[in-house]
Amino acid sequence: MNVQFSGVSKIFEPDIAALVDINLSIEQGEFVYVIGQTGSGKSTLLRLITREILPSRGVVAVGGYDLKRMRKADIPYYRRDVGLVAQDFKLIPTLTVYENIAFVMEAMSVPKRLVAERAKDVINQVGLWRRRSMRPAQLSGGEQQRVAIARALANSPSLFIADEPTGNLDFHTAADVMKILFAINAAGVTVVMSTHNQGIVNASRQRVIELEGGKLVRDEKGGLYSE
Amino acid sequence: MTMLRYVIRDTWRLIVHHWVLGLLTLITAGVMLWILGVTTLLSLNLENLLSRLESELAVQAYLVKDNTLDVEAIARKIQSLEYVYSIKTFSPSESLAKLQQKMGSQSRALEMLGDNPIPWNFEIHVNSAQDVEPLVEALKAMPEVEDVVYAGLVVRRISALSRISSRIALVMFILAVVITALVVYNTIHISLYSRREEIGIMYLVGATRAYIATPFVLEGTMLAFFGALIAGAGIIGAYFPGIELIRENLPLLTNIIITDRAVIWRFCGLLAGFGATLGWVCSYLVVARFINSITRPE
Repeated sequence: MNVQFSGVSKIFEPDIAALVDINLSIEQGEFVYVIGQTGSGKSTLLRLITREILPSRGVVAVGGYDLKRMRKADIPYYRRDVGLVAQDFKLIPTLTVYENIAFVMEAMSVPKRLVAERAKDVINQVGLWRRRSMRPAQLSGGEQQRVAIARALANSPSLFIADEPTGNLDFHTAADVMKILFAINAAGVTVVMSTHNQGIVNASRQRVIELEGGKLVRDEKGGLYSE
Repeated sequence: MTMLRYVIRDTWRLIVHHWVLGLLTLITAGVMLWILGVTTLLSLNLENLLSRLESELAVQAYLVKDNTLDVEAIARKIQSLEYVYSIKTFSPSESLAKLQQKMGSQSRALEMLGDNPIPWNFEIHVNSAQDVEPLVEALKAMPEVEDVVYAGLVVRRISALSRISSRIALVMFILAVVITALVVYNTIHISLYSRREEIGIMYLVGATRAYIATPFVLEGTMLAFFGALIAGAGIIGAYFPGIELIRENLPLLTNIIITDRAVIWRFCGLLAGFGATLGWVCSYLVVARFINSITRPE
């Protein structure tokens, strides 16, 4: 799934410009790091892709669809094709690991047998099968992050959005999470990930988009964290 | 099937999670719908009684003593008045015989009167108590009619009672509906608020609004429905023994009040249906409003 930003600005009330005139294009199967200081607009950019917020100006198009013009009824179906891993995990605290993952498939009316198979598959992928009956509060930060990744994978999305997925993790856990994300990307899924982790960006040399004060200041293929 | 399983599981979770609130809602809905049911039944019984009394209300019109009068033509003229339900003509001799029968052993006193003093007269029945007064006015305006006899005070009392009973029933209906609706609305709103974060996450990962909303709507519908069932049980528990008590002590009234058990069961079924519909409407409104507000993009 490709992503297109054309002249996109986002101004929050009363007059805070989070993004200013962003033009960029992300092709199907790319792995893109979005970097920049805190408040540079990284999360705003990702939230525009997930349609949590709408642009004040310009067009955000994903898979050829203008998100601002998307019908209300189509939003859930669009989101099922976008795997989201949020900085704060966004797991449902009352559900177990298994239920958190099975739930997204149940929402699509996937038959119970297939839900069980797919849930087992993605939980194994992130190495948490033995923790499947635990609730998020009983897990470490890294484990919760992996549950969020497993949930995002459950619907086999075409686009994977990760907002600082290694932000709260130690070096080894972060490396494990990145392995999973590279594996997802290797399967042809577009991955857009915001990060502050210099080591991760420099080690993998993927496309880097840098934001500063809401403006796109660098878009470099095979780039490093700092020029 | 998956959706159904989720809806049942989640509705159960919602009810268990807020069981104290749910219980309070159930009791409030039960009490309010019981009051609504009892008021409606009382009103129906009162209407029954009033319509029985109304059907027995008769206006007696006496004609002037004149042998040249065309009694049949006058009867047709009265019959054509819009308030008249039925008219019966009595000749002077028939009227005297009726009076003698009524007076029984004291009827000999009538012989002292000599000639039969009762003129041709009509017994007129009206459609409703409110029709009596205008009919009497119309009859008095007719030159052939000498006197009109009717139970004026009774008529006025019945009309007033009928109006009051209808108004009380309407006020109680509105009150019970508004209170039940507010309680259900509030309970579902609290349920939604306590899970607002979860709802946001569900929507973000691709759940449809219907999928998110259904357990909440079902919770509200079930609370009001079970409240109505409790109310129905309370009505049956109070009404049937009440009928037996009336049957033993005031048998005359059993012809006037509703005693058919099938009617009461049907009434309670209707009440349950009404409760469920009310719960569904209230919870649907609050859920739609809440989900709209938290899923609206900035």
